[in-house]
Amino acid sequence: MSKKVLVVDDDPDVRLFTQTVLEENGYTPVLAKNGEEGEAAVRKDKPDLIVLDVLMPKESGIRLYRNMKTDKKFKNIPIVMLSGIAEKSFLRSQKVLTEFGGDPVPDPEAYLEKPVDGEVLADTIKKILG
Amino acid sequence: MTRVLLIDDEKVSVQVLSLSLRSDGYDVLTAFSGEEGLEIFDREFPDIVITDVKMPGMDGIEVLKNIKERSRNAEVIIITGHGDAENAIEALKYGASDFINKPVRDESLALALKRAGKNIEMRAKLSAYTENLEKEVAHVTHELRMQSRFLEKLIKISEEGIVATDRELTVIIYNPAAEHILGYPAEKILGQKKIKALFSKELMQKYQAKRHDLQKRKELEHFETHVKDRNGNLIPVRFTGAFLYEQGKIMGSVAFLEDLREIKRLQKELLTSERLCTVGQTVAGMAHGVKNILHGFKGGSYLMEVGFKHNDTEKLKSGWNMIQKNIDHTSELVGDLLTYSKVREPEYKPCRPNDIVEEVCISLQQTAKENNIRIIEDVDPAIEEVAMDGRSIHTILMNLISNAIDACIYEENPGKSLSVMVKTTLEPEQIIRFDVIDNGTGMAPDVQEKIFTSFFSTKGHRGTGLGLLVTRKLIEDHDGTIDVASEPGMGTTFTVKLPFRENRIPLKIECRIR
Repeated sequence: MSKKVLVVDDDPDVRLFTQTVLEENGYTPVLAKNGEEGEAAVRKDKPDLIVLDVLMPKESGIRLYRNMKTDKKFKNIPIVMLSGIAEKSFLRSQKVLTEFGGDPVPDPEAYLEKPVDGEVLADTIKKILG
Repeated sequence: MTRVLLIDDEKVSVQVLSLSLRSDGYDVLTAFSGEEGLEIFDREFPDIVITDVKMPGMDGIEVLKNIKERSRNAEVIIITGHGDAENAIEALKYGASDFINKPVRDESLALALKRAGKNIEMRAKLSAYTENLEKEVAHVTHELRMQSRFLEKLIKISEEGIVATDRELTVIIYNPAAEHILGYPAEKILGQKKIKALFSKELMQKYQAKRHDLQKRKELEHFETHVKDRNGNLIPVRFTGAFLYEQGKIMGSVAFLEDLREIKRLQKELLTSERLCTVGQTVAGMAHGVKNILHGFKGGSYLMEVGFKHNDTEKLKSGWNMIQKNIDHTSELVGDLLTYSKVREPEYKPCRPNDIVEEVCISLQQTAKENNIRIIEDVDPAIEEVAMDGRSIHTILMNLISNAIDACIYEENPGKSLSVMVKTTLEPEQIIRFDVIDNGTGMAPDVQEKIFTSFFSTKGHRGTGLGLLVTRKLIEDHDGTIDVASEPGMGTTFTVKLPFRENRIPLKIECRIR
């Protein structure tokens, strides 16, 4: 059974790109176009890995990431961040949220700043999923 | 002491009279002929002259004439023979103060002298009074002249244009600053033209409504508007004006115009430098947009590679499509950056603003439909063909209406019936107002603050972050204004006001033909 990877991104082209990369490398993609849909998909499809964008309407990647990593049931699902936002900025935003009275969250398993080559994305996922 | 000159060829009579006069307290000079009398008169300036009529040589009438020629105010008393009415009348004709008959009696002489003395006194008083009055008048006249010259100068050197009229509304004050703003030469305006030759009907109505009672002190309001100069150019001014009333009656009107061209020019300069500065800041913010575009290219080429590998036309197509989209996105971004950083004068060319609204709405119709958003056009039929920069209007509306559609797409309330209304209104003083009203997601105050000022996008991958900056710049280049009202969850209204020119051949070209 091939492993399931959830892709959360508001840009349909990015979803199509990541979807193709996953299919080419033998994974089963599940697609969501914002944080809200992403969270529903996590519960329903129980993915083995999440590829997550940061800036999205409705629920952002910052919030979804925090919800995953502070939830006992989901915190072991590895997350690959894929965003135009710099890694620094994303980590800072998590730190700020922690200071505002949240539980500390670990850093993501990988952080890829757009633009990313399809091969690099595939290698990153392979390395994590083994 | 009053000085009396006594002229008589009869020495005895001179001696007797002089004795009697001296005892009455007069300072007496004597002469025994008309000629001698005149000589003494010229030397001693007596106050009163008493002369006999009948004398050998120069007679009394001659003496009188001569003295009166020298000094009109000299008091001359004539002594005539008994019943010599003819001489008496002549003497009076030549200005004698009095005459007494011979033989001279002390009482009548005293009386005549007293009268002459009174005359002198009166005259002295009158002259002092007159002199005083003249001085006073001269002083007041001088003051008045100074004051009016001062006022005239004030009006003349005033940086503000001043245009004032009499109660018939004929222009009577039109200073050089007004001349500079409006362009009409003063000699063609002053005393000849009515105020309505200078100001538009709308402006007249606006300031006619401001009745200013001279007895009641009240601050005059001012407002920014445009006046048309001699060549039909719109000149931005700060206008203060009122019709002046005193006790309910119109006294005239006055208008002050502050030329805002220089200020507007400086504002524009400042905006340009601010804008270039923003472009600098934008580079950092823009990186996000550029990263997304590059990622799109990577995605497109990856899809095409996969397509070639598996001979999958579907993948090839979507890869190519992705690349094309990002080419468009790149040119959009570059175009926005160029528009934003370049200074471009608007081109006032004939166009129909309502048609541009229609055009933009049609081009966005598909996106709106896909997202269940209704686009409603509500155009003012009073708007006809006018001279404006149609290209700018197109870009402005395109940005605002697509923003409005995005605001609807982002709305989270699924039950809401979403719409974007585009409205045009013809406003006074040659202004067209465009309203773009959506009932989408709305903006919080902190977002509203940011939208015009710097690179800012709430749209993630889709915005260049420059749309509203570009919009604001185009509007300001067109001497217009943009305002926003928004409430989270309720929607947003953008209001743009742009001035237009009448659609006719500009006068500049006419001049060149001549």
